[in-house]
Amino acid sequence: MTSGRPPRVAAWLLRRTLPPRDAGAAILGDLIEELESSGHTRAARRRFSRQAWSIALRYALRPVPQPPRSSTSQRGEPMGFDALRQDLRFAVRAIAKRPSFAIVVLAMLSLGIGASTAIFSVVNGILLRPLPYAQPDRLVYASETERGGRMSFGYPNYIDYRDRAQSFESLACHQGESFTVVGAAKPRRVDGRLVCWNFFSVLGLRPQLGRTFTSADDRVGAPPVAMISDRLWKQDLGGDVAVVGRTLKTSELRFTIIGVLPAGFRFSRPEDIFVPLGLTVTPDSGMLDRGNHFGLYAIGRLKAGVSVRQAQAEADHIFADLTRAYPNTNSTNGGRIVLLRDRLVDQIRDTLVVLMCAVGFLLLLACVNVANLLVARGAARQHELAIRTALGGTRWRLVRQLLVESTLLSAAGGALGVVLAGWLLTLLVAIAPPDVPRIHEVSLDRMSLLFATAAAAACGLVFGAFPAIQASGGGRLHLLARASRTSSVSPHRTRRALMVVEMALALVLLAGCGLMARTMIGLNAVNPGFRPDHLLTGRITLSGSAWIPDRRRAFFDSLLAKLDATPGISLAALTLSLPIEGSQWGSIFTVANKPVPPRDKLPGAAFVPASASYLSTMGIRLVRGRPFDSRDGRDSAPVTVINESLARTLWPGEDAVGKRLKQGWPEGDSPWREVIGVVSDIKLEGVDQDTPMQAFLPLTQEPPRSVAIVARTSVDPMNAARDVETVVESLDKDLPVTKMQPMTVLMSDAISRQRLSMVVLAVFALVALLVAAVGLYGVVAHSVTERTREIGVRMALGAEGRQVLRLFVRQGLLTAASGTAIGLVGAAGLTRVLESLLFGVKPTDPLTLGVVAALLLAVALVACYVPARRAARIDPLIALRAD
Amino acid sequence: MQTSLGELEQLVLLAVLRLGSEAYGLGIARELEREAARRLSRGALYTTLDRLELKGLVRWKLEAGGADRRGLPRRVYTVSARGVVALRASQRVLHRMWRGLEDVLKESS
Repeated sequence: MTSGRPPRVAAWLLRRTLPPRDAGAAILGDLIEELESSGHTRAARRRFSRQAWSIALRYALRPVPQPPRSSTSQRGEPMGFDALRQDLRFAVRAIAKRPSFAIVVLAMLSLGIGASTAIFSVVNGILLRPLPYAQPDRLVYASETERGGRMSFGYPNYIDYRDRAQSFESLACHQGESFTVVGAAKPRRVDGRLVCWNFFSVLGLRPQLGRTFTSADDRVGAPPVAMISDRLWKQDLGGDVAVVGRTLKTSELRFTIIGVLPAGFRFSRPEDIFVPLGLTVTPDSGMLDRGNHFGLYAIGRLKAGVSVRQAQAEADHIFADLTRAYPNTNSTNGGRIVLLRDRLVDQIRDTLVVLMCAVGFLLLLACVNVANLLVARGAARQHELAIRTALGGTRWRLVRQLLVESTLLSAAGGALGVVLAGWLLTLLVAIAPPDVPRIHEVSLDRMSLLFATAAAAACGLVFGAFPAIQASGGGRLHLLARASRTSSVSPHRTRRALMVVEMALALVLLAGCGLMARTMIGLNAVNPGFRPDHLLTGRITLSGSAWIPDRRRAFFDSLLAKLDATPGISLAALTLSLPIEGSQWGSIFTVANKPVPPRDKLPGAAFVPASASYLSTMGIRLVRGRPFDSRDGRDSAPVTVINESLARTLWPGEDAVGKRLKQGWPEGDSPWREVIGVVSDIKLEGVDQDTPMQAFLPLTQEPPRSVAIVARTSVDPMNAARDVETVVESLDKDLPVTKMQPMTVLMSDAISRQRLSMVVLAVFALVALLVAAVGLYGVVAHSVTERTREIGVRMALGAEGRQVLRLFVRQGLLTAASGTAIGLVGAAGLTRVLESLLFGVKPTDPLTLGVVAALLLAVALVACYVPARRAARIDPLIALRAD
Repeated sequence: MQTSLGELEQLVLLAVLRLGSEAYGLGIARELEREAARRLSRGALYTTLDRLELKGLVRWKLEAGGADRRGLPRRVYTVSARGVVALRASQRVLHRMWRGLEDVLKESS
């Protein structure tokens, strides 16, 4: 590159810093001549810049009495830029004089700013940044509610709602689905979504290739078409532009690919295949039954000017109408409209808020600690400051000098913090559970940098203010006159006050950590009701019209027989719903020989078809009666095994065995089932939720399309995984086994939110404890040094070491105790943000708060004791002579 | 008052003397690089020149610059009488210090 102009940044820099008039012009002339003579090569331009920097640095940091000829005329205050330059130079010198001090301060600051910037970036990417769609604040998520809790739409309810609602520009339903892609060497289960034809236009999204759906695609009997993700296109189909029109073979249907979605598109979870929902609304699908809720939800784009609240009011109105029109199915149903963004992130929001609060405390703590260090140093520098004051420096000048120093430190800390934040963010994204929504959108962006800058600036002001205020107070002569070894009250009082704040902050973080630790202990101690060790789980789905119930029964039989015969597997079973993972089939049920309650009071339970071997494979305890066995076949009398919760609720104080119930509405045609056994409760919905009423049905009598395989293994569960795949493959080569994992992993994943919070809080709390302890140590040690002479006098007058020890320990502990007390009050108020993450412990749990307070005080005691013991060992003779 | 010179100051003064009418910033820098194998940063060079001026060891006058420097002037330095005295003093010191060490320090060829 050979532009005739000198490098712009360098030239700008020189204009700022070169001495005025001829001197500067001559220097610039030299540089330009050199640049010209070397023909503006890239190397020459680089040299130009390098030299410009060296000149700028030299001249910026040069002693201010600068124009060489007027060196003696400088009296009084330099003004403006020159003054700032001088301040900067002093600041750099002052910092460079004590590098260890600077390192400690920078470490503290970069840690605080780095950690908080990283967490802020996550919060910003997930909670704050608008969704990557057109006018995202008008996008809403619609669902039904059942007794106030969110529930998916019954398809006819959705149609009625859609036809009546006036709030929307457009409304589209969708339902998560997965497909078995076949044709490649190994069949693969791929997540996808059934969508209304206008789903993508509601989002305002165009395909990068091909077309989107039309209403003609979105009906029963239409030729099956699909849109695919960028990832599927590039990874599985080679990114071929001619992909439109090709066939995507799944075990369900052969789809014609009509479009490729833009790269980076992701709705809630990563999905690769999108298919018109209308294809599946066949008469035998059950979709047309108003009482069936198969996971159908909707997204809508509000008309301009319509608020979420108005849309909600309208939904309330429409669903009230529907309840009146269809009391049998809609007696407890309502509608709910929330912002799409809120819906996508609502599971992670609480965790993020907790993390943000915690990291805020950490930043504050770092700030206070740095302030403390600066005050301590300020005290040590009082002599220097006093001299400068005596020599004519105004008070404002000194304050400004100190502020420049702290700003310089915080700027450097901020810069380091951003680097650290980059690393931490990569780490956080890597360890975040994969189902965290929008985690792929998280990055260190302009907002993050803005946050880091603001944090650094705020830090600079906060911790710079203390030493500055301190320096501005107090008479100059007094400062100069006092000997360096007598103690002054003011910095000490400031330091104590800061220490109290540090202790309080540390206690709040410790309390948060303690509560999360209690939660984790509680969660790990939960008895799930079965034996989770040596248990392998996986899932298969028999989709497509060819899998009629009898074929499914036969398949399940041979699958179980083969699994049982596999070495390493001692017992295998099949079930619709796995514990912890959650119920796949919730339903109303009706009890025989009891008055039928009103529709909105009908009981509901999780219905779980399971093979006869299920209870014994899982290690679920039978309380009464018998489990399923070979007697319970397709054509034998319908039976059920219920859990204790159901038995207790429906037949309190009675023997449930022999009673009868049926799944569904009182007028429904499902068969009455006799209760043949009662089993103890197992955790069904996660580890932290109460067990719902549960009814097991024989798999033979109710063969579902999707079953989970559970295998009790004699080896490490994952070692048996390959065998399970082989068995399934030998029965049907196009059937993939998905979600293969040990039960223990499934359980630990279920508490990953709490674990993440606990780990982060634990790290923060540990840092806080350390910082507070070191801070307290510093304060007491400093006080000991300052009062050496006083101690000497006291001991010379007969005080014993023990008394001196007690003096300092008491002083330190008093500080710590005040901080702890304030912290306890704060914690009692602040730990409420944790509430939704807690399990088995209240936010104001006195035991936890007591323990962390005791821990903090114990650490404080050690931190005071060490320097206090030194005080107690002072030899009065040496102490007095040293002065 | 006797001014003692730093090594860099000596080198710069010597370069100015050697260069004569070509003793301006860039020329000095090139001379130092060529003859003394010293690549010092330009910032260091100019501040050294400023310091020498402050001590009264160099003087300068402005010369109009040509097109190759966009008409920007040159500062051409000359060593003042005090500068020459200071250089001589330094040389004497060095000579004294070298005396008697010829055997130890002679270059083995």
